[in-house]
Amino acid sequence: MKCAECADKLDRFLDRELNNTEALEVQLHLEGCPDCMEHYDFESHLKRLVKHSCECDTAPTTLREKLRQILS
Amino acid sequence: MAEPAAETAFAEEALTHLDTLYRGALRLTHDPDAAQDLVQEAYLRAIRYQHSYQAGTNMKAWLFAIMRNLFWDRFKGSRRDDVSLDDVGDFVLYDRLKDEGAKPESDVLDKIAASEVVAAVDKLPPLHREVVLLVDVEGFSYKDAAQALGVPIGTVMSRLHRARQQLQKSLYDYAVESGIVRPRQVPQQ
Repeated sequence: MKCAECADKLDRFLDRELNNTEALEVQLHLEGCPDCMEHYDFESHLKRLVKHSCECDTAPTTLREKLRQILS
Repeated sequence: MAEPAAETAFAEEALTHLDTLYRGALRLTHDPDAAQDLVQEAYLRAIRYQHSYQAGTNMKAWLFAIMRNLFWDRFKGSRRDDVSLDDVGDFVLYDRLKDEGAKPESDVLDKIAASEVVAAVDKLPPLHREVVLLVDVEGFSYKDAAQALGVPIGTVMSRLHRARQQLQKSLYDYAVESGIVRPRQVPQQ
């Protein structure tokens, strides 16, 4: 696998959307290519950053209780 | 009519997805009160139409679909007014930061506050924002996101790709404006 192909598949690799064969090919390339591994680490960090930043909001307790009453 | 015990079990399971629905509603409406109203209405509708839910399928995706369809009906009326993304070209934040001579992870990502990331997500047009919420925040597969949004998987992938580029461009602009990154000066002729 060449670096360009790895970069092209990086998002789907991170999203766990590649089939097993493709995922293994990307994994093997990353293990032998420090530049692509650095890129992977960056994209992985960014994805976690988006997740954690937006996950801070949770439903207010009052809403949860209200729904529990309505739905029971 | 479903049996009372089945209805209770349905309601209990549905409530385990409340945080996901509320977060989605908040990011779509930008208003905590409107988000609560939207989520409440979505749950009432879900209970009313629970017979159409197929047990064993993804309830979170099914509930999100109800909520976001209500959002579009209530707040948007028409999907045509969803503004399109700025054309940022093939913007890859990692490549741009390397070109600037920065260490992308330690020099930049570690210095971007969560509030700036949320602001960048909020700046995305709703049709692109919701796919980032589903895949990146809530961990939906492309297939489940496609079900929740009522579009083909290819549409999920293309919206996600463009949304991420826009998001990365917004974070880059913030990093430059706040002095985290100093763009290389182009020599004057």
